Amino acid sequence: MATVATDYTNKVKVTDEVAEFPESVVEEMRSHLTKYPKDRSRSALIPLLFVIQRERGYIDNPGVNFLAQFLNLEVTDIWETATFYSMFNMHPVGKYHIQMCKTLSCKILGEPELTDHICSKLGIKPGETTKDGKFTVTRVECLGSCGTAPMMQIGFEYHENLTKEKLDDLIDSLE
Amino acid sequence: MAEELIKVTIDGQEFEVEKGRPLIDVINEKGFGVPSFCYYADLELQASCRMCLVRIEKMPKLQASCVIRCTDGMEVTTKSEEIEKAQRAMGEFLLANHPLDCPVCDRGGECELQEVIFDWGDVEERFDEPKNAHPEKFLSPIVANDQQRCILCKRCTRVCHEWMGEDAIEAGNRGSNTVIGTYGGWLNCSQCGNCIEVCPTGTLLDGVYRHETRPWELDQTITTCTYCSDGCQLSVGSRADEVHRIVARDRYVNGINGEFLCIKGRFAHGFVNHGDRIKTPLIRYKKGGKLIPSTWDDAIAFAAERIKESKKAGVVATSRLTNETVHTLKRFADECRDGTSYAVSDTYDLAPFFENLSAPLCTHKEIRFAETIVVIGGDVDEEQPLTAKQIRQAVRNGGANLILVNDTPSRLSHQASQFIHVNPGTVEAFVLALADPSAADMAAAKMGIGRAEIDKARETANATKGDLIIMFGKELGAEAQAVAANLPSRHENRNVKLHPLAGYCNSVGASDMMPGRKPVADVVAGSDALLIAGSLSDEEFAAADLASKPFVAVQELFLTDTAAAADVVFPAASFAESDGTYTNNDGFVQRVRRAIDPVHQAKPDWMITSLLASELGADFGYSFSASAVFRSIAESHEAYEGLRYPDLKDETRPVRVKHKLVSGADVSGAVASLRDRVSQFPDAADKITEEPRVGHKLHRVTTMTGKTPQFHLLANGNPKPDDLLVSPLFQFNPDGSPKKEEESEVAAG
Ligand code: SF4
Ligand code: SF4
Ligand code: FES
Ligand code: FES
Repeated sequence: MATVATDYTNKVKVTDEVAEFPESVVEEMRSHLTKYPKDRSRSALIPLLFVIQRERGYIDNPGVNFLAQFLNLEVTDIWETATFYSMFNMHPVGKYHIQMCKTLSCKILGEPELTDHICSKLGIKPGETTKDGKFTVTRVECLGSCGTAPMMQIGFEYHENLTKEKLDDLIDSLE
Repeated sequence: MAEELIKVTIDGQEFEVEKGRPLIDVINEKGFGVPSFCYYADLELQASCRMCLVRIEKMPKLQASCVIRCTDGMEVTTKSEEIEKAQRAMGEFLLANHPLDCPVCDRGGECELQEVIFDWGDVEERFDEPKNAHPEKFLSPIVANDQQRCILCKRCTRVCHEWMGEDAIEAGNRGSNTVIGTYGGWLNCSQCGNCIEVCPTGTLLDGVYRHETRPWELDQTITTCTYCSDGCQLSVGSRADEVHRIVARDRYVNGINGEFLCIKGRFAHGFVNHGDRIKTPLIRYKKGGKLIPSTWDDAIAFAAERIKESKKAGVVATSRLTNETVHTLKRFADECRDGTSYAVSDTYDLAPFFENLSAPLCTHKEIRFAETIVVIGGDVDEEQPLTAKQIRQAVRNGGANLILVNDTPSRLSHQASQFIHVNPGTVEAFVLALADPSAADMAAAKMGIGRAEIDKARETANATKGDLIIMFGKELGAEAQAVAANLPSRHENRNVKLHPLAGYCNSVGASDMMPGRKPVADVVAGSDALLIAGSLSDEEFAAADLASKPFVAVQELFLTDTAAAADVVFPAASFAESDGTYTNNDGFVQRVRRAIDPVHQAKPDWMITSLLASELGADFGYSFSASAVFRSIAESHEAYEGLRYPDLKDETRPVRVKHKLVSGADVSGAVASLRDRVSQFPDAADKITEEPRVGHKLHRVTTMTGKTPQFHLLANGNPKPDDLLVSPLFQFNPDGSPKKEEESEVAAG
């Protein structure tokens, strides 16, 4: 039942390995630090988590270790923040990360059937990734587009007023 | 600070209270009572459980009384149908995911959730959705965890952050999926167990005591911890002459440490009932022979005979012994044979300090509310954990200035307002710089710091209006100690207080009990018959060559190197089996109480010594009652004058011994020789930049801690097992290597 974003099984193997990034990426991270007061560098945690996720595919252990050093935080502090937000993945996800909104408006307007539909089409359960590593489906809380419910996002792109047909077309069109 | 008094009406009764106090405290103090979970005195506010609701006139909704500060004219209602309905509803929410498996929960019987729900819960639950279920697991060898019992009050994360400065445990995920845990599911912290203690539910549990007994089957004996000089009060839980667990005293009752304890105080009690305890007296009849079990009568007679035959006797005490024992040993030296010399084995001899003491010792409470704290040397986090917690709270919650002078960075140095990172082994130079401004430049150079650092620290100290506390560690030699003890008398601030970071639970007391003592090496070298209570340190033992001594008698719990080299060994009772007192680094003399009968044939140390003395013809006037020994202490030591056990019965109001203060003592000699010493320090050195791992001293396996198997795993890197549901003790050998399949089955079966 575990979803990708919800890490209560805590299966992460924690090592000392620290991720390395090209100078340009480190530079980008430093630029985030400049937006906050010097003694409040931990405020940059969320923008930096986005960078880690972009660079490493998900919030992986070496990436967390890097951030812990970069911001002088405990790894568990980072875990606390990263697991709070469904936009951060603590485990690898497929090339296309389909996040179905499961909150009120979307749910009333048919999200459960849509999720069932997409899952049976892909042969996975919510929280899982297809064998070819192409798709991951998760159910997330409100994405703030209730007026166009039911909706979902793939990556950061919204797909609104969904129907089964629309979903089929979309999935088929993805390489 | 005089507090402004205001009027508050609670349930129609008017009270005068200090302005700005938390309303919840006042309600409880005045005997009205309001249920609460997340509120915890002296931790930051959380206001997440919503159990403490009250109605306050002119405020729109029910208010959480934990976040309300008392203001003048406030009218509060704590009981009404409306409030009760809200509280019952909150109780229902808190139980929405709670398994209610009290019959198999180690907290059952002393669980705050159980208690509050008993009074405030509804008979029926309306939730019929499936509960979040997680298996019970281990977060470390000594922290067991059942996530589903959590009510998310976050006391655990707050104590870890605020008391320990560790952030080892946090709340992950969101909403109803929130759990308390760590990244990777394994705790690599100092393993203090304070999160376990403050948890109001059975979510975080004592892994050493796991499933041993039900709490109500235990006898609880309030006593003083036997590890460090902070002298925390704790409650030993025993049943049928076996110690099962140790917890802190209740947080609202206790005087010095509240619910705080460190890993050693809380978990390292396995030695008390350990199978390796010496069971009977032992005699080695001939040099080179074996230690042979004997009776008490024979062993005492044998030892007395040998001591009589000797030319010169010597007595060595250790600083984990009670005042009663050290005092009796001193009397043994004074009254049994002329010319008997005596010593105390300790890593930090405080004689020069107490001889020059010019200001009172500070109390732990004063540390918490101090304005400036200067810590010179030491390793507070690892060696005096309660002091470290008080410092940390003073800084975090009280905004105190912390000036830390040390050659090694530590957890605390991150929190220091000024961390003076000196060259290795040069902290004494800082004492010199404070005492003798003319030597400040030289001292700064030796410490490898800029002169400005010293001036800045001095400015902070001089600007301090409240309490200025100076602590110092065992790096200080005799001259530096004398100079440091004298510092307050030269300072215009009258609120200077001193805090020696003494080594053991009774370092201060042993120092009080044995004035005029000699160094251990001198006593050992100068005597041909030795009585040692406890064991020599490794270095002292190596230097002593006990085997070559004509006669050595040792009082010990275990057959340590020292005991194994003796000719007579007396089995001594541990702190849990004897009555007595320890004097801590506040100068508080606190009771040690017998929780269980002495194991096997052990006897309290002072009793052994006085038996031996009476065999030698000396009568101390006491042989069975520790309170009689204490009376003798009160009669012979000025600082303890007039004290009796009944005065010490209430540990919430600790009693301070009256150490003599010498003001205006001339320490110029000590300053001069300190200057000489400092001037011989090397001119340049590499600084230590690596911060030692958390627990590098706390987790050390010693004669005592090593008897609790969990310490071996911690000392060997605290490996994370593959299966978190099974105790790591079944998955690893003591050296931290994984157990082979068959072995672990044998162990588990
Ligand atoms: S044992 Fe102590 S340091 Fe470790 S998580 Fe619990 S409170 Fe924090
Ligand atoms: S584990 Fe215990 S102390 Fe921590 S949040 Fe849960 S109930 Fe509160
Ligand atoms: S409920 Fe789906 S976007 Fe808000
Ligand atoms: S005690 Fe007030 S909200 Fe928890």
